[in-house]
Formats: sequence, structure tokens, C-alpha cells
Amino acid sequence: MAETDQAVVEAENPLLEGLRLRRRPDPCALVIFGASGDLTTRKLFPAIYSLAVRRLLPERFAIVGIARTEESDEDFRQRMREAVEEHSRDELREDVWQELAAGMRYVTSEFDDPGGWERLTRALNALDAERGTNGNRVYYLAVPPGAIANLADELGKRRETEGWTRLVVEKPFGRDRASATDLNERIHCHFSEREIFRIDHYLGKETVQNMLALRFANGIFEPIWNRQFVDHVQITVAESIGIEDRAEFYEQAGAIRDIFQNHLLQLLALTAMEPPIDFTADSVRNEKVKVLRSMQTPGPSTVVRGQYGRGFVEGEEVAGYREEPRVAPDSMTETFVAAELYVDNWRWADTPFYVRVGKRLPRRETTIAIHFKRAPHPPFEELAAEGLRPNVLIVQVQPDEGVSLAIGAKVPGQGMTIRTVHMDFLYGGAFRTGLPEAYERLILDTLLGDATLFTRADEVDEQWALVDAIVAAWQRDRPGFPNYDAGTWGPPSAEELLARAGRAWRRN
Amino acid sequence: MPLAHVDRWQGRNVRLADVGRALAQLRDRDVHDEDGPDLRTSVLTHLVWVPERWRAAVEEVLKGLDERHPSRAIVLYPHPEPERDAIDVEIAVESYRLKGVCRHVSAEVIRIDLHGRRAEAPASIVSPLLMHDLPVFLRWRGQPPFGEGPLEQLIGIADRLVVDSTEWDDLPAAYPRLANLFDRVAVSDIAWSRTQRWRRVLAGLWPGIAELSELRVRGPRATGLLLGGWLRGRLGRDISLALEPDETITAIVVDGIPVQQPPGEPKTPSDLLSDELEIYGRDRIYEEAVRAAAL
Repeated sequence: MAETDQAVVEAENPLLEGLRLRRRPDPCALVIFGASGDLTTRKLFPAIYSLAVRRLLPERFAIVGIARTEESDEDFRQRMREAVEEHSRDELREDVWQELAAGMRYVTSEFDDPGGWERLTRALNALDAERGTNGNRVYYLAVPPGAIANLADELGKRRETEGWTRLVVEKPFGRDRASATDLNERIHCHFSEREIFRIDHYLGKETVQNMLALRFANGIFEPIWNRQFVDHVQITVAESIGIEDRAEFYEQAGAIRDIFQNHLLQLLALTAMEPPIDFTADSVRNEKVKVLRSMQTPGPSTVVRGQYGRGFVEGEEVAGYREEPRVAPDSMTETFVAAELYVDNWRWADTPFYVRVGKRLPRRETTIAIHFKRAPHPPFEELAAEGLRPNVLIVQVQPDEGVSLAIGAKVPGQGMTIRTVHMDFLYGGAFRTGLPEAYERLILDTLLGDATLFTRADEVDEQWALVDAIVAAWQRDRPGFPNYDAGTWGPPSAEELLARAGRAWRRN
Repeated sequence: MPLAHVDRWQGRNVRLADVGRALAQLRDRDVHDEDGPDLRTSVLTHLVWVPERWRAAVEEVLKGLDERHPSRAIVLYPHPEPERDAIDVEIAVESYRLKGVCRHVSAEVIRIDLHGRRAEAPASIVSPLLMHDLPVFLRWRGQPPFGEGPLEQLIGIADRLVVDSTEWDDLPAAYPRLANLFDRVAVSDIAWSRTQRWRRVLAGLWPGIAELSELRVRGPRATGLLLGGWLRGRLGRDISLALEPDETITAIVVDGIPVQQPPGEPKTPSDLLSDELEIYGRDRIYEEAVRAAAL
């Protein structure tokens, strides 16, 4: 039955009403380029398996892994089984795994080998016949950034005539505005924007989506979510780890391209955006783009960069960045960025957004903290209220996912002493089902064709425009790196960024 | 989620003020722990009416429920025998360890034995104990005594009544009496939830099933009646129903053709109740099935 006929039959079926059916994705084959890589092992396959456990995958589904590593179908299945056993949040269930494994194939190939493309086409055609995947394809490019354009070209040239096609691209998308534009143009030669799913896995996190629920499902926050009531906003994306084995990538990218350009600006856009008219992909992304377009280009005095030297993290002495394997001993790559940003619109004019990202900071945390203005005239003696700080709403993205509100409360006893206390909402405490991994949500949305949580071309363009302006200013000076010890909150100049306005970074 | 600790309090012949004080004291015990006070994050008040014969079954379901619904559970055990007029209370504050977080999260279970005339006025006893501004789900074990005081009172304070009509003896006669409540309180039936996986399979038979004239169900009487009512209501036609008793639904035959078994395993009683506690509005399709089940 054709898809439209099927839809008509479903619309007329009175037995479907009230069944609380989740929309199930169309039959399709998921092709993973880079199937031997870390991302596939640690994130993609565990997520696919968790979707299979919850019966969220298409009824007719197949997976083809493609990579240079020589492997048979059976080797691939075994390796992915081990990946699931090691990294999945769900116990391996034999019945679920066998069902998934039956549709798994592997193709060994260089990406520029015509023979490899032929083998891939044959494998996909065979799966269409065996498993009824109907020519629908999701191509997941879990490959280094340099390989994306050529792969998109090859895929475009070989597009199926029947069925739909979706292309999933991992970050980073380009290394500056020009390269991102070039990449977008090359991909757009073969794929329309609605077929392209640019992943920023932060958007798949439950707590990031909860930011939208917090803002737009609660009438109490939106009226005060503006310059009248908010003194400033702090966004922190801190990692305690170093660069691990990513020196080659990190030397080219630095903190600004690795985290700032994508995760951090997405968090800022979600914090500052206007309410969308609905939760469709374009409505949400239109509002995010407006924020990015409204952002002032920061000057050199409002951006701080740093690089870690030796220090102690969690009691252990760790090497400085320049001492890491495969890092140049005179590297000028930044491992820390802090900035004072402004969104020039009616809601946020003159309200600073202080943002910081960094490696080898004291602990891993991603938070968005909305600092409200002080009460205009606290009628207490100065001493009574000296422990009182302005209200802060903290969205804890990771770890300890949740929301916390700092409020002033009277200390029990005689007299009137005020102290700040925290009211906590912990995600794990209120909803005791395990939180899905970000990749589960993003893979499922790709299969369903819902691009709400993916980055659109114009968002990427605006993000790079801002980053390019910052990087251009950096060409004019050469800071003395390293300028902060591992295990501290960045260089002293990051503190000064706020101190000159009488503010300070959150410590806890 | 691993249980970290349980703090308990018991009282015989108590007043509600004693219960309030005991709850506050149990919460205070944890305040000075080095991990900080336990978090109390609630999404509903779960009220359970448990005649004596259902006592053991309720304990089993409550164990699984805390995992998914952080709530205050108030379990009422009526003892209408006129030996004494009193309430006995046992409180358990169960604290669970959260993955990756130092602090615990707690759930409260308040078990109240209502003796003598106290069993006649349950709403006045539980009203002071309801969590403010959160929905109240009333789970009634066994067949509710339609029209009688305790049910009428508790429906007055509940947002949703949750029953399991497989626990009822008087079927299908009880269904029209249940239907009389639909305009006063939203109703969930766990028997109806059990049919969900089969209803999906039957819906997949559309449009072939549109002319159905005979349905045979091997399973609990309630689930068979509800499936029959559902198909009558949805398809708008008279359907003859043949029932063969079994503990769970094991077979369905439509016009002489056996229906394929649904995929996966049936849900546990705890999971079925959990699902019902996530529904807030009226279920019009269920109401239609109940009305048609008695035809």
C-alpha cells in the first residue's frame, strides 16, 4: 500500500483513537560512516540499542556500518554487542539484540573507493528486499570533519530514486564562517535543508529541553525573564578533563571551536530566545537565529582566553596543555574562553551574558544561572541581611540535572537574620525513570524526520560570524600562555571581566 | 533505585496533629546529615482504599510504585467493626539514593487503620494530609460500594479514581454504576490498561475488522467485556461476545479467525498502576467501552 493510502486508512480507523500510540518511524536503513570509530562504539550503538529495547525503532529496520577497518558482518555484530554491554544504560537482552543484529551488515571500504560504494549499494538493495526498508536511508557521517564534504558529494551522486534520504552530520560544522558556508553549499548541491540534520548533542539532553519547559510551561518565569528583572546571566561549560587523545583535533579547534561555537551559543540562544509560536522545527530555530543575529560582536576587552599549565585536579597532579602528547610545546591554542556578551534586543538590552568554557577546571559542570536584580529596598538592618544574596535560578544541565532557586529566608530564632537558601528540584528525584542519553533522542528524531533539536544552516552561519570576529581580534595579540593552573577557574583576567562591574562568577 | 534508609513512626489512637508532627520530625532527622537533608519532590498524592482482603496485594504494588512516582501515599485500611472508634497510623519515610548525587530523595507512605465509625468519614481524615496543589489519585481495591459514604466522600476530594474491574464480582452489572461517576471524577481501570496491547493488534486489523460480528476472548471476564464494549462502541455495531475464563488474556478470535499475540511481555501490576498515574484527563474511549460493555 502506498504511504498516502496508508495514511488515509489510519485516519479513518476508529480503533486507533485513544490508544496512546507513539509515532513510529518509517521503515529505513541507517548507514553509519565511521562505524569503527569511538563515537559509534560509545554513543551511537548503545543509543540505538536503548531505542530497540523501548521498541522505538522502525518495525522494519537495518543498519549498515562502513569503515576502513577490515571486518565481517559477524565481527561487526560482535564488536557492537560488546559496545552495548559496556556502554548502554540498559542490560543486554538476548531477544532484543538478536532482532537488531539480524539487520546489521558491514562494508569494508575507503570512502573514495568506487568498489566500496558498489558494495554498499548492493548491501542496501539486499536489505530493502530482505527487510522491507523501502529505499529509505539515513546516512550518519560519524567521520572527521575533513571527510564530510566528499562523502556528501558521493552520497548525492548516488541518491536513491525511491524513498527518502536524511543526512546526519556531526559537529564541528566547518572551522570558520567561510568553510561552513562552503560546506553548506556543497551539501546543498545534493540535499535540501530539511534533509540535513546537524547534530549538537547538547540539544538532545533532557535538561536542555527542560529549559524550554521551564520557560514556556510556567507562567511565573516568563514575565521576569528580561532586563527589568535579570541583572545578568552566567553560562558555564566546565570540564575537569584535559584533551585526552584528541590533541590533533584540539590543536586546530581550541575551546572556541570545540565548545563555544556550538554548545555554548546554543545554550545562550535557548536562554535568551522569545517564545516560539509552536514547537515545530522551524518555529524554534527561527527564534534561536534571531538571538544569534542580535548578538553584539564582542571587543577584545570583553573576551578572555587561557591555556592551562600544570596543576592539581581532584588531588592528582596533571600535566599542562603544552606537555600533553602531540601538542606543540609553544602551542597558542586556547583551552579556556570567557566572554561578556550582549543580546541587542528589546528583552535583553544592556544585560550581560557572562559565558565561560574550559578544560582542566576544578569540576565538570554545565549550568545556566539567571541572576536576578536585588530587592530594591530590603527593610532589614544591614547586619541582618548581610548573608543575603540576590535570587539566582540555576539550571543544572550536568551533572545532578535539575533546577535550583536561591532565595532569602529568615534564620529561625529571635530577631531578623536573613540567609540565602536553595530550593532544589532534582530531575532524578521527581521523575525516577532513567534519563535517556542525548543520542537516543537525536537518533529517534532523525528517524522521525523531526529537526527541532538540530542546528539549521543559518544558525551555524551566525555562530561562526561571532566566533570569527573573536578569533580575528586574537590575531593581534599573543598572551603569555599558560596563564592558569589546571584545577583553577581560568586566568585571573576572567575574574576581572566581572569584577569591573562589581560582579563575580558563581563558585558553587 | 537503591533504598538508603527508612525512618518510621507508629501511633495508636492518634489525632491528625500527631501525624503532622511525626512527619515533620522524620524530615528533621535528616537535616543535619553530612549529605544534607533528603529531598522531597512530589508529583501527586496517592490515596489507596484497602479492604482487609487486599492488604497483602497493596504492599506488593506500593514497592514497585515508589520507583516511578515520588508521592505521598496514604493507605486507608477500613475496620468498620464497632470495637473502638480510633485511628492507628504508621508512617514510613523511605529515602532512596540517587545515581551520581550525594543527596537522597524521600517518599512518604502513611498507613492509616480506620476503626469503627472513623471508617465512615475517611475524607475528613485524609484531607489535612493531602499534598497541596497536586493531583489526588484514589486507588480503590475491590469493587467500590457505589453510592455509599466512603466512596462518595473520597471521590469528592480525588481528581482521578483508579479501579481494576478484574477484581469485581458483579459484572457486567457494575459497569453502568461506574459509568454514573464519569461526570464527577476521571476514571482509570487497570483492566482496561491490560487490554491496550491487544487493542493495538485489533486496530491493526482495520479495515477488515469493520464488519466484525463475533468476538471470542479467553481471559478475565472484565477484560473480555471491555474489549467487547470497545469494539461495539468504536465500530458502531452489535457484536456477539463469547468469554472463556483465564487469568490473563491468552487468545482473541474475531469472526472465527485467531488474532496474533501482541509483541513483548504484559506489564506488571505496579507498571500498570504507574501508567494510570500519568493520565490526568478523562478517557472518553474507555467511558464509551464501559457503557457498551453492559449491553
